[in-house]
Amino acid sequence: MNPADLAAPPSPLGFPAPYWFLVLLKVAGFTLHMAPMHLWTAGLLVALLLIRRPDAHARLLGERLITQLPVVIALGINFGIVPLLFLQVAYYRVFYPATVLVAWSWFAVIPLLVLAYYGVYLYAGGLRQTRLGRLHRLAGWVAAAAFLAIGFAFANALTLMTRLDAWPDLWRATSRAGAPLGTALNLSDPRLLPRWLMLLALALVTTAAYAVVDAGLFVRGLPAAYRRWVAGFALRLATLGVVGFALFGSWYAFGTWGAEVRQAMLGRLAPLTAATAAAPALPWLLIARQRRGPTPGAALATGLAQFGVLALNATSRQVVQNVELARFLDVAAEPMRTQWSPLVVFLLLLAGGVGVILWMVGRARSTLRPVPH
Amino acid sequence: MHYPWWHVPFLTAPMLIAIVAVLHVLVAHYAVGGGLFLAAEATYAYRTHNHRYLDYLRQHAWFFILLTVVYGAITGVGIWWTIGLASPLATESLIHIFVFGWAMEYVFFILEIVSAFIFYYFWGRLPPRTHQAVGWIYAVSAWISLVLITGITGFMLNPGAWPQRQSFWVGFFNPQFLPQVAARTGGAFLLAALYVYLHAAFKVKDPALLRLIEQRSARPALAGSILIVLGGAGWYLFLPASARAALAAASVLNVLVVLLFAITVAVFVMLYLGPYRNPGWLSPGFALLFLGLGLAAVTSGEYVREAVRKPFIVYNVVLGNQILPAELPRLRAAGILQGGVWPRAFVSTHYPHLLREGRVDQEGLLRLPQADQVLLGEALFMHACNNCHASRSGFSALRNLMRGWTPEMVRAVTEHPERVHFFMPPWAGTEAESRLLEQYLRTLVLPSPVELPEPMGGRR
Repeated sequence: MNPADLAAPPSPLGFPAPYWFLVLLKVAGFTLHMAPMHLWTAGLLVALLLIRRPDAHARLLGERLITQLPVVIALGINFGIVPLLFLQVAYYRVFYPATVLVAWSWFAVIPLLVLAYYGVYLYAGGLRQTRLGRLHRLAGWVAAAAFLAIGFAFANALTLMTRLDAWPDLWRATSRAGAPLGTALNLSDPRLLPRWLMLLALALVTTAAYAVVDAGLFVRGLPAAYRRWVAGFALRLATLGVVGFALFGSWYAFGTWGAEVRQAMLGRLAPLTAATAAAPALPWLLIARQRRGPTPGAALATGLAQFGVLALNATSRQVVQNVELARFLDVAAEPMRTQWSPLVVFLLLLAGGVGVILWMVGRARSTLRPVPH
Repeated sequence: MHYPWWHVPFLTAPMLIAIVAVLHVLVAHYAVGGGLFLAAEATYAYRTHNHRYLDYLRQHAWFFILLTVVYGAITGVGIWWTIGLASPLATESLIHIFVFGWAMEYVFFILEIVSAFIFYYFWGRLPPRTHQAVGWIYAVSAWISLVLITGITGFMLNPGAWPQRQSFWVGFFNPQFLPQVAARTGGAFLLAALYVYLHAAFKVKDPALLRLIEQRSARPALAGSILIVLGGAGWYLFLPASARAALAAASVLNVLVVLLFAITVAVFVMLYLGPYRNPGWLSPGFALLFLGLGLAAVTSGEYVREAVRKPFIVYNVVLGNQILPAELPRLRAAGILQGGVWPRAFVSTHYPHLLREGRVDQEGLLRLPQADQVLLGEALFMHACNNCHASRSGFSALRNLMRGWTPEMVRAVTEHPERVHFFMPPWAGTEAESRLLEQYLRTLVLPSPVELPEPMGGRR
């Protein structure tokens, strides 16, 4: 059986916008989604560990991270809608079959997310009550485990999406009369573990960058000692993340990339690969320069640099995905019937919406009072 | 047939959509109506300098965020998640048609999230006018989200002239758009009031404040009941013919429609006689009863709305068994086992000798041993029938529906299901494939449980 035959036929409706535009929105949306996603996977774990330490600064940073997480999670979930939407427009021919094969683990994302989100709220509620009870602690760790499981479910489904040659065996092993039971897992995929670990390491760098942004931009009136401690801690965390990213990234690139991907990413796209690999060094350097405590300007630069790292990762990921799929199908080769007027309305609404959000955030920021010592 | 069919034993995959959708709408309407309630009542409380009411509204805003921003938002994404798994072709089509509708809705989601958090977390810090403005930004954004998603759900039931013109706006402003916007807005008003009653009945100890809350929420709730009835009537008027016929033909739907209208009227009367005319009735038990009735009405309405959409999943666009109507002639000529992506893969895996130059040997299918014919029949059942029917037990299980059927009856339903029940999709395969399906269905048939004496004519 030719695995390419299992991809769905092209839609007679055609692409509603140029392929590059769909992919641009997908990559931009994924970049936006990645920042909060990193905070709920690695940031939550880091915060739970910090709160267990006797050090008051560590506890304060942990508490700040966790009490901000409900808002971060809400934004992250909504930011995740865009990449998933445009993924389903541009890559539907492989996205739906892959997710149906692993349907139960993919479906489990929803109850796990409800569990994780309420777990974070429960834990944050416990923090407000001066003493954390056993239930609060349990809720926090369950939430962290649920977020890791969600990350795994995503990696599982989305790596399978480009691995059409694995579909026949998974399908035969987990189907009844040709209908998948949805119980397959893409565990035999050599890319799964290194990619997941690489992203977890990158999430540590994001958490470190966010800690610096928080200390430099969001808190007012906290002692210089706290800021210095955050800078030191962020540097240690970012170092761990950068080393992990280098190790697991090397494993992923040199140990699991197929010939086509290696040829593309180490050949004509080598500058992109090199930039993606080297990029985390920039936020690391910026964090290292703030050992005396983050300043607003340097903190902002750190946040922007890490955002750039995420954007490069999202771009590289997209390129790799396309190269992996090129063996089986040309995703871009579809008729186009651009829906101009809805597209324009969307862009106008987006611009207006961003304006309203900036106004609201500006008004809210102007009311912030210094945090009491 | 473009995608693999997810077999969920007992329930069937589409029932997962129904479950997630019902779990979502219980809160989704409150996410809209509750936002309007908070914005309007905060404005009123600021204007009248009623600080006790403002304190209550702050408490309510926290309850609102916990319920809508977490559970409501995630289950909303959950519907999308589930339709992609259980109805991939319909989802593919909807996303191609309405991607920018969803993108617009996304803008309003973000506005909702940001405004909801600022409204709550900056309560008492923002100047009153700014605070009210943020509340109204939430309320308007949430209502526009409702409008945007209703354009898409309305399209699924009656796409109007879209099949001919294939324009986003023609599809969006479909005949079901206004009635469903009216009914959903009414549902939002009504359910929000019932959630407020529940929360206030447990939280507010001051009788005067409780009476104020009762009275002020009663008016939008009464207006909501009227909008539900008007929207419901419009929904019925603009139903496509087969949906209206399906509604009349299915007794369970008849019962649910009566239940929906009866509950709405009962809630209206209780609201009018209680909180509106005689505030002071509100107790936790009364509020629970109220909300229970409201949720029963909403779930009945949602179930009916989904269930009448037959034999399509997206009316005139995608059939219930994930086939585009335009594909029927091709599939009938070539067969499901050849024309369906995954059924063809099933044949090539299990019966490669039946494939010759990419074509399935139709005559060869019927020369297979009996067990293989039954297996292929089951594969056809999965792709053609399992979207609405479980096999042996579970949701609308064929074993239960076909008790006592004769072989002729089984043959008739496999050859022309749409003639046996007009709300079933037509058979999309070849004659040989219908024989295979028949072989499988006959393994499910049990004898009739009713033993009647032979008719007089029979004795002669």
